Amino acid sequence: MRQLIWLAILALIASPVAAQNVVKIGQIEAQTGANAIYGYMSSQGLALAVDQVNKAGGFKVGDKTYTIELIASDTRGDPKEASIQLKRLLETDGVKFVFGPFLSNVFVTIEPYAKQFNGKFLLMGGATRIHDFLGTPDHDFLLRTWNWDAGPKGFGNLMVDRLVKETGAKKIAMLFQNDQGGKVLVDIYTPLFKQKGIEAQLELFEPGTKDFSAVLAKLAAAHPDYLFPSYSDAHLYDIVRQATEGNYFRKFFLVRGSLGPGLKNKDEIDDYFVYVPKYFEQAEKTDPKVAKFVADYKAFYKRDFPYDQAPLCSSSCYDHLFMLIEAMKKAGSVDDVAKIRKELLSMTYEGLWKIRFDDRGEEIFNFDVVRMKRGGQIDVTGVDAQ
Amino acid sequence: MGLARAMLQLLVGQALNGVIVGTLYGIIALGVTLTFGITGIVNFALGEFMMIGAYVTWYLFDIVGLPYPIAVLPAVAVAAGCGFAADQLLFRFTRNNLINGLLVSIGLISIVEATALLLWTTTPKDMGYVLSGAFRLGAVSVPKMKIVVFALLAAVMFLTYASLSRTWIGRAAYAFSQNPEAAMLMGVKTEILQSGVVVYSTALAGFGGALYASLYSLEPAMGGLYILKGVEAAILGGIGSLIGSLAGGIILGVTEAIGSIYLPSAFRDAYGLVFVVAILLYQPSGLFGTER
Repeated sequence: MRQLIWLAILALIASPVAAQNVVKIGQIEAQTGANAIYGYMSSQGLALAVDQVNKAGGFKVGDKTYTIELIASDTRGDPKEASIQLKRLLETDGVKFVFGPFLSNVFVTIEPYAKQFNGKFLLMGGATRIHDFLGTPDHDFLLRTWNWDAGPKGFGNLMVDRLVKETGAKKIAMLFQNDQGGKVLVDIYTPLFKQKGIEAQLELFEPGTKDFSAVLAKLAAAHPDYLFPSYSDAHLYDIVRQATEGNYFRKFFLVRGSLGPGLKNKDEIDDYFVYVPKYFEQAEKTDPKVAKFVADYKAFYKRDFPYDQAPLCSSSCYDHLFMLIEAMKKAGSVDDVAKIRKELLSMTYEGLWKIRFDDRGEEIFNFDVVRMKRGGQIDVTGVDAQ
Repeated sequence: MGLARAMLQLLVGQALNGVIVGTLYGIIALGVTLTFGITGIVNFALGEFMMIGAYVTWYLFDIVGLPYPIAVLPAVAVAAGCGFAADQLLFRFTRNNLINGLLVSIGLISIVEATALLLWTTTPKDMGYVLSGAFRLGAVSVPKMKIVVFALLAAVMFLTYASLSRTWIGRAAYAFSQNPEAAMLMGVKTEILQSGVVVYSTALAGFGGALYASLYSLEPAMGGLYILKGVEAAILGGIGSLIGSLAGGIILGVTEAIGSIYLPSAFRDAYGLVFVVAILLYQPSGLFGTER
């Protein structure tokens, strides 16, 4: 009897030790709300990756085996909500690795708080505004998990270049949401268009707008060649439909959002020129890793694969968890964030995407440029950004 | 001359568009004004019943494959059924208590929106074209479906007005809104009347949602915007006035559309609000309202 009691006591003492072999991963993404398209796929892909790692028995660092505990919070795209969630993750849950955010308005709100924890955690987010803080003092905690638009190798630069060369466009109308996401696109693309000799006009709209007829009519009055609209599918579906239905625009140029709105209106558009991190419909047929991911997704969530949203799994998602685990293994630690960061910056990971970070901590990955013509005829060009 | 003509066409086109969009605000405003007049609460959850009507229509039209007119009827019925459930479970305990009604309706928004997220996720649902194409006159272009939506909404609103002014039930509702005790003494069954008005308001919202689905993409948070516009329109037109609801909605729609042409569209919602404030300064009870 006494032996049994001792065994029970030992088991009780041992259990917290076992619990320590868990790496906590936090996530702050908008899983719901108007701009949830950006966080939805990241949250889906990360949960799938965590499940796969844990079902495989975890991963080994040194002589210890670790499993992952995912603490995924829904920010709803609300910066205040995200601030509270990040505070909880860092101060209560003791998380050292946070995935997200993708939304710039969320990032700029949490940044002053997050930088107080510089050196104590890593934040891997896709937000465009993260670019401005990379490599600056007190921001070693930042890693940006999306291609940068501007610069000689920027995908946006390449897209504008292709637009000029392939279409001869001289005038473009920009129609963006009046928020951080919209303004950052204005900051990036206005000089890019100017450099390439394209005249750009701009209108901003309020988040939540559904009827764009007035602003589309206003923009169309200046006869631009292409419409460069918004960044979120929540608006793109309406803009593309209303632009074609009202005969305001039939040519579109996009660097955010999905192919879905173009496909939906494929018989009404003349040209839909879009940056797609991966054209899954095609990649599924040619890349076994992509095919497995699609099959795993369907089996895990028991629903159809969201082809239109899946390209956004390119940010802080499935690949990044496996990449982080590789970095932990190489660093020989699950909590030395400086070492793990160093390993992340020095590696090239070949998952769904071929990923590496530059020396400032900004991701570079291969992507696709898709041009869709009337009737849905699609031309995909793969770009190896490495 | 060419520029002036182009500008005129732009103005005419957007004025027409504003009228059509305004009727959608108007149908919600009608629900707001009816509910407030009879139950004494502002039902902020009406936007959610609009969302229910929209999603059910989308589901029946796009997924089940029913013809659009047939899909609309069950959508309105589902919205009305949800309205009845909400009334019996919640709103009947908040009659004539503005604050409690407000709190309950705000709570209901969270529940309905969360349920919609569970059922349909945040992926925008863009229903297929019900009626494609647009009427064009010069540079003025109005989608055919918008004309149909306007006609149907205006018809329902005028039928509601006619029913309230020419039937016994309508007169009972008017009597009850003016003096509940006297109406009760005259034999008006107040409980049934109040529940009936709540259900009818949610059915109106559901109908608005069903028509909305034929024009715009759907997302679970869509109701929030429309209830704000509906309340604005009801206040602008004058709470208690049915014609005021329609007029308020149309004024808001036109103000937003025309304002967006001359001024930055980033402040589109503000143009309508400025108009509301300006009207209320001179006419505190709204355009068609009467002093209570």
